Amino acid sequence: MTTPTAPDAMYRNDEGLGIWEHRGKVAAVGVGHAPTARRWDGRPETCVGAITIDALRKAIADAGVAPDQIDGLVVVPVTTTGAFWEAGKSLPMDVIQSFNQTDDPLDGIAKLSAEWLLANMPELTNVQFTMYGPGCMSNALNVTAQAVGDGLTHTCLVVKSWHNFEGRYYQGGANAGNALPGTPAITQLWGGPASYSTALQFAEYCRKYGKHHDMMAPFMENSRRNGLRFPEGYWAQHRPEELGPEDYLASRWIAKPANLFDNDIPIMMSGAYLFSTAERAQDMQQKPVYILNHASSNTRPRSLVPTLDEVEADTARTGRKIYEGAGITAEDLSFENMYDGFSLFHQFHLEGLGYRGIKFGEALDFYQTDISIDGPNPVSPSGGNVGSGRSRVWMHTDCIQQLQGRAGARQVTGVKPEVGVSGGPMPLGGNYTVWSASPD
Amino acid sequence: MTILISFDIDGTLEVGDPPGPLTMDMVRLVRDKDFLIGSCSDRTLSSQRALWADHEIEVDFVVGKHMLPDVKAQFEADVYLHIGDREDLDRQYALKAGFDFLWPDEAVAHPHFQPER
Repeated sequence: MTTPTAPDAMYRNDEGLGIWEHRGKVAAVGVGHAPTARRWDGRPETCVGAITIDALRKAIADAGVAPDQIDGLVVVPVTTTGAFWEAGKSLPMDVIQSFNQTDDPLDGIAKLSAEWLLANMPELTNVQFTMYGPGCMSNALNVTAQAVGDGLTHTCLVVKSWHNFEGRYYQGGANAGNALPGTPAITQLWGGPASYSTALQFAEYCRKYGKHHDMMAPFMENSRRNGLRFPEGYWAQHRPEELGPEDYLASRWIAKPANLFDNDIPIMMSGAYLFSTAERAQDMQQKPVYILNHASSNTRPRSLVPTLDEVEADTARTGRKIYEGAGITAEDLSFENMYDGFSLFHQFHLEGLGYRGIKFGEALDFYQTDISIDGPNPVSPSGGNVGSGRSRVWMHTDCIQQLQGRAGARQVTGVKPEVGVSGGPMPLGGNYTVWSASPD
Repeated sequence: MTILISFDIDGTLEVGDPPGPLTMDMVRLVRDKDFLIGSCSDRTLSSQRALWADHEIEVDFVVGKHMLPDVKAQFEADVYLHIGDREDLDRQYALKAGFDFLWPDEAVAHPHFQPER
């Protein structure tokens, strides 16, 4: 079996598509997370393949489903954006030989294929459908929801994992060379840090609306506080450190006005979910969380860096798509878990949604109000990447757990958790999911 | 002679992530020699303070990586030394701020960290 990448037809990129045809007929049930680590320690049992198997098995057990009932697997094959196996570096043969292998020796170490996972999870005897959702869990969730809705699979696992090696993030691989073909030569090789484009947009945002970077501090403090209540996350597991205003504002600039903590910390992690039809989900171990819609943005900027005008136009368009397909309005959102890694673009997502009625230029003022899980306007109750490390997964796990009523110390109390939204990554170019405690 | 030592944490001190070669007893040794000491790290200021408090070591300063010039302006010393494990974030910052610099393994063998006879 060769696993295909999801075709464009599986995504809802356009406005005017109406209510999603599978609204309320697909559900997330099981959640599984592997332990996190700052970097891979070189052992077979902690490589990205091993932690992925761990997360998948936990999701299966959490849902209370027999492995032979699972007929689908959606995988994000890329497991890093900036930690690459150095060319010429010797292969860790002891690790490679600890697993059933594919043709690629770095499968399970620096990347993941569906074939590698199936070869190493013999209990998955009935998987007939496999597909890749590129990039992020946000993408893979869209693919999974559509696949279950379309009847391509009825009980489907979806997984996203991250590896992190020693050395500086984004400094290795092709970025360590002297030449790159095409646009990456400008954006990666000779360009600024990864947060540079977001920093430019944020700087223009501050100029346009008369705001300043210090106004981010309450959001950062709130996000880390929520993250420290996320037992699956890096900061909660390894370094239970709060991020108060003094801590945040004293940090050095990476790409001014993006400082160190506006950039998420790269980690090893894996998160997995079990999706099924709403009908089958009724008999599973956890409360089903229904998918009301998925929506995507495939907008391309006119130049290398999207302008603030382009960002605002596209986040507004994304908001309209999210609501249209789900058949809801902003007023129906109990909470939001839009992406935050880089933290300085969370407010773009928030304003595009019109969360709690805020308009463009108002999010930083909104951050100065009660945005905690105990108040009426919870912002990023997951804590996101700020709260738990670089994964692009926490926001989705939190939506499921909030709506199942098992978010623990992170459970929102200021509102009744009925509908949530999550997704990202970038304001231009992302995938979003609307989650609901009920199918209606 | 007044000597000021700035310690990076991760990759430098034994309690760092990753652990470094400088033990907390070595830090206590220079503390007992009346050196001015503190940490200069990308860790938050509050977590640096907590780390020192957990090990019951009184320090004179905790700062971010970019704040060595502030340390130099705040404290009068004859020798300013930063110890760290990174070329870009330790050595370059230190030299630019007018500090001497030692790699952690060099520091372990340095007379500063040997008991006085």
